[in-house]
Amino acid sequence: MNRPLLAAAGALLISTGAAAKEQPLPPFTLGYEPQTVDERGMWSEADEWEKSVKSSTLRVDDEGLNAYVREVLCKTVGTDRCDGVRVYVLNIPAFNATMSPNGMMMVWTGLLLRARSEAELGAVLGHEFAHFELRHSLKGFQARRSASDVLAWTQVLGNALQVDTRNSQFSLIGSLFRFNREQEKEADLLGLDYLAQSKYPSRSASEVWQHLMEEADATATGRKIKKRHRYRAGFFDTHPTELDRADYLLEQSMAKGDTGDAGAASYYAALSPWLPKLLEDQVRLNDFAGTEYLLNSIAATTGWTGELLQARAELFATRGNPRDLITATTLYLNAIDVGHSRPATMRGLGLSLVKSGKRSEGAEYLRKYLEAEPGAPDASLIRMYVPDERTAK
Amino acid sequence: MHINFRMFACLVAPCLLLATAAPAIAQEKTGIKEGFVLKPGSARIAMLEPSVRVGEQSTGGMFEPNADWTDQAKENIEQQLRASQANLGNEIVRLDIDTIPEGKELTRYHSLFGAVADSVIEYQFFKGNRLPSKKRSEAFEWSVGTDLRKIEALKGYDYILLVRTKDAYGSTGRKLLQAAGFLAAAFTGFGTVVSSGEHTGMAGLVDIETGDLVWLNADLAMGGDVRTAEGAEKRVGQLLEGFPGAPGAVQ
Repeated sequence: MNRPLLAAAGALLISTGAAAKEQPLPPFTLGYEPQTVDERGMWSEADEWEKSVKSSTLRVDDEGLNAYVREVLCKTVGTDRCDGVRVYVLNIPAFNATMSPNGMMMVWTGLLLRARSEAELGAVLGHEFAHFELRHSLKGFQARRSASDVLAWTQVLGNALQVDTRNSQFSLIGSLFRFNREQEKEADLLGLDYLAQSKYPSRSASEVWQHLMEEADATATGRKIKKRHRYRAGFFDTHPTELDRADYLLEQSMAKGDTGDAGAASYYAALSPWLPKLLEDQVRLNDFAGTEYLLNSIAATTGWTGELLQARAELFATRGNPRDLITATTLYLNAIDVGHSRPATMRGLGLSLVKSGKRSEGAEYLRKYLEAEPGAPDASLIRMYVPDERTAK
Repeated sequence: MHINFRMFACLVAPCLLLATAAPAIAQEKTGIKEGFVLKPGSARIAMLEPSVRVGEQSTGGMFEPNADWTDQAKENIEQQLRASQANLGNEIVRLDIDTIPEGKELTRYHSLFGAVADSVIEYQFFKGNRLPSKKRSEAFEWSVGTDLRKIEALKGYDYILLVRTKDAYGSTGRKLLQAAGFLAAAFTGFGTVVSSGEHTGMAGLVDIETGDLVWLNADLAMGGDVRTAEGAEKRVGQLLEGFPGAPGAVQ
């Protein structure tokens, strides 16, 4: 345990020295056109892919949300740079964002739920943009091609000469994953440069990874599995470990020493129209402890809003132990108290009461739900719990 | 957070290409729905943008997309498809997905057709792969669902025609590797079979009213260099081989 720690500390000391000089951002050309055969080929394939992404059902086709994410990107990397990028928000409840060689950026909704400020979102978007600016897709493609070329010759010649080449093959494959990890670190560091030059504090980049580790710990505790964070990446790891990233990003941002407003309040204010949907998807992931952790982290900034209370109520109601139903009922009532009485609140509260054996009280709330949403997909099912509705319809 | 999903595939694919000998020997190439007859001259067929991918195959077997070749092949194939309309004996109209309001739905159907066609090739054309319940049946029963007819832009058409090709020309490195694998067998007795180049294509016809795939022609080893006009003519000829309803087609 001590040796990797010492090694990492040593590496950090060296890199801190190098970063003390202010690194200028790499030059950027607007309307860049791919140059070589390889690059033009990759762009052409990516263009085709982008067409299918545009019409994908996964895409969140909401101009406001897409525009906001784009705005955060532009504030991070600068308006001249972000002009070369198209942002697509995809409805996938996991933490990720991807970048294509042609400037298509895909942002998953799970990332939007987990970022706690514009700066944290900007840190991830800046990292993705760095992949684009550094042409990592192209370089990765070329690295894979070279390695597979050598691999093919190794196999054919090894076979011909009856030499065991498994070790060389293994190290070739390992070199590719290492190459990918180095690209990720490079993108992390350039992303940090963007953040440092923006109005956002660069320290937020490290916090993204700290929070992800905390969430993973919460999930692990909830599922009674072992918590595990390492400095050293494994053989098949495509990225540096979260702990490593949190560590070197913090160290580098301390060297930069920039400060700024992370924009936590403005982030949640902008996100609020979509937050209920993001929370709903998160609750369905069946990760009780991880979701509890996320809800608490959002509440730390916004306080326990009606949306959060509702989501927490759904979380307990979904697990559905008898004691959970009492908690869920309480939380639904709390949500109503703060003025959050959506049809879904009535539905959840009604069902929790019915399941707890309080049929007539539950039916009252379910009736309100049916009045508000007579055409809901589950309306006929809900009517079964409401005595007079059952006979009427 | 960067695109790595294909990394494993790229690493594994070359190994597989080296390990397997010439593939797809006992394979069927054409399927037609039982009893399906298209009356020549009367059907209106909408054709979607052909999917064309052209590139090189690297020494290690990776696909290297080539934008110029792809553009050239697209142009050639579209031109040949237009030219061959007369031979098909039906009215074929090219739909431009980008300009119609339901382009989104159609693009999704385009992908679905591709997925269904892949399943047909995998689970119908290779007899050994057929599902237990379909082992003895020669029936050709594949569909994309009945909602296709709800698409406004397809009103007035009877069928959709889809065309897809992918060409990976063996690079010099790949050919050298192939030769080395072959020569090794002669000199040391321990050779390796290396395939060079990959040329696949398929054309399919879908009934808009029922969503049924009524005809599919697929070949994993196609002829014709799509980068040239003559080659594209040969390719389109192969793609549309056995097109139902064509004058003189075998029904």
